[in-house]
Amino acid sequence: MSVTRRDFLIGSAALAAGTAVTAPFLLPKYHSDQRPRRSRVAVLHAEQYSQELDQLLAVGLGLFPINVTGKTVVLKPNLVDYVPGDAINTHPMLVLAAAESFRRLGAKSVLVAEGPGHQRDTQLVLSQSGYQQSLRDEKIRFVDLNRDELIRTPLRAGYTGMKDLWLPRTVLEADFLVSMPKIKAHHWTGVTLSMKNMFGVVPGERYGWPKNILHWKGIQQSILDICATVPVHFVIADGIVAMEGNGPLNGTARPLGKIVLADDVVAADATCARLMGFDPDRIVHIHEGTRFLGNASPALIDQVGEIVNAPTKPFQVVPEFRHLYVL
Amino acid sequence: MPTVTTDAIALSNVLAELALRQLPCGGWAALASSSQPAIEPTCYATLALGSAPVGDIERAQDFLLRTQNPNGSWPVVHGDDQEGGWVTSLAVIALRDLVPAIPARLRGFHWLLNCSGKESNWFWKWKFRTVDRHVRFDPDKYGWPWFPDTVSWVVPTSFAILALNEIPCFCGGLERIPLRIDCGIQMLFDRACPGGGWNAGNGVVYGCPMAPHVDDTAIALLALSDRGQHPVVQSAVQYLERVAPTLTAPWSLAWSILALAAHRRPIATLHDSLAALSDLSSIEGTGTLALAYLALDYGRALSAFGVTV
Repeated sequence: MSVTRRDFLIGSAALAAGTAVTAPFLLPKYHSDQRPRRSRVAVLHAEQYSQELDQLLAVGLGLFPINVTGKTVVLKPNLVDYVPGDAINTHPMLVLAAAESFRRLGAKSVLVAEGPGHQRDTQLVLSQSGYQQSLRDEKIRFVDLNRDELIRTPLRAGYTGMKDLWLPRTVLEADFLVSMPKIKAHHWTGVTLSMKNMFGVVPGERYGWPKNILHWKGIQQSILDICATVPVHFVIADGIVAMEGNGPLNGTARPLGKIVLADDVVAADATCARLMGFDPDRIVHIHEGTRFLGNASPALIDQVGEIVNAPTKPFQVVPEFRHLYVL
Repeated sequence: MPTVTTDAIALSNVLAELALRQLPCGGWAALASSSQPAIEPTCYATLALGSAPVGDIERAQDFLLRTQNPNGSWPVVHGDDQEGGWVTSLAVIALRDLVPAIPARLRGFHWLLNCSGKESNWFWKWKFRTVDRHVRFDPDKYGWPWFPDTVSWVVPTSFAILALNEIPCFCGGLERIPLRIDCGIQMLFDRACPGGGWNAGNGVVYGCPMAPHVDDTAIALLALSDRGQHPVVQSAVQYLERVAPTLTAPWSLAWSILALAAHRRPIATLHDSLAALSDLSSIEGTGTLALAYLALDYGRALSAFGVTV
């Protein structure tokens, strides 16, 4: 085989570019291996947001050996902004159903906490998105993580190079933290699921709106550092109506009819990615997360509920992420 | 300036609640349930207390002076890193009437003068012009970041313009300030949403026009109160006049009142809506509570922000 000068130059440039992108991830940068031996994921079918979600979630949670008796449960939905008719936020009915289920399971208290990444007026997002009235009716306390008390917290991984982050007391002191993402395509990270959802715990008051320092340190790297540091005990992902295309704000609603429950963020996100028609191994933070946070391999996941099938038509993504599609 | 009758009872109730929430250190926490003093709510509360005969304004001012970083900036919360951040603008505004604070304010102005969005550096300018063009903006037009080493955003830029506008004389090393203010104003014009108003600072992303936010728009309009004839400002005022009457969230409502009053628009209905919100004193956010007071007493508030109407 002959190699022309042009081939050599193009190949060298591609190699350099590939090395530049992957180099930050070549060496392990985590402090401890937090992976469970096996993970459990349940995919539930739900066509719409309705009162029946209470019962469905109760059944779904029954598939996991969860003990929240006497514990403080913090539900962390994805509450970004409000645009009428758009599938941007985790639906409040799912959050209420989760709160009710954990109360029935014996939780001492259940509260909802979020720090919207773009909107400084958290109360405005709460009221416009239907959360405020629902939470008030059900007497569920909401904590604005953008303005909560802060604790300087050493990071338990070093992907961003930052030594610590100021993080909200409510999240750090939660006995049982539940990440409740909206299943969405994302124009910077490919997907935004239970791991990316944890960006919302980083306080805007300290880091700005948007939390720009995390973008400069690398979004994928920041996701890994945050997830290594803030332990998520459970995932309830809202894929009843998901989002494809130019997410997280300007994508298109995509009815998926699924709720994903998991006891491992990596397993949850890998499963969601498969449901979207993506190869989870090609999503940087999920792939790297398998080294120390959780399991993505189907061989290490106990799948309960529905079988995970790739959709007939995969989720649309911006051109930069077409490589995520399963071939 | 539009004239509106202020409900004295509503005002005194809010003020009493603010006084009640003042921490022993003199500062205020961001939330009623918190005891960690933070600079942003402390600045709004200090402005709200003003010369009112409740609360301890001197302890508040002392707290602000005590928490200033050696480099002239202010931290977001007491005990934070000493590199400082966006609240520096608010702190120098909150200390405007205090003569002994003049040296501290000067150090704050110098810090602001030397702080700029990362896109002001040639390398990042080049990057945003060539390889990173998903967010549409002109990197030649830069303002102030939330924190050093990040790019400019609308709210910190607007607060910095308001703060720097309060300097009576651009001398003693502050000669570059008019240029910086002008660059910040150009940045605000550049980052406006295509449909009018501002959000955090991303007008168009991936070719898609983004929606404006009420508070970001209002704060930018305060900073641009002397540019009322500019089409971007007029379009933002129209957006705010359209949206503000639908608001029930006190934070956005309060900022809207201040911004529209600064642009000589009628605010009586908005003012009544804010005063009529059930039990203002129960608002969890102390910054929001103080802002509600400032909006109800908007004449004095605008003067504190250096806005003449």
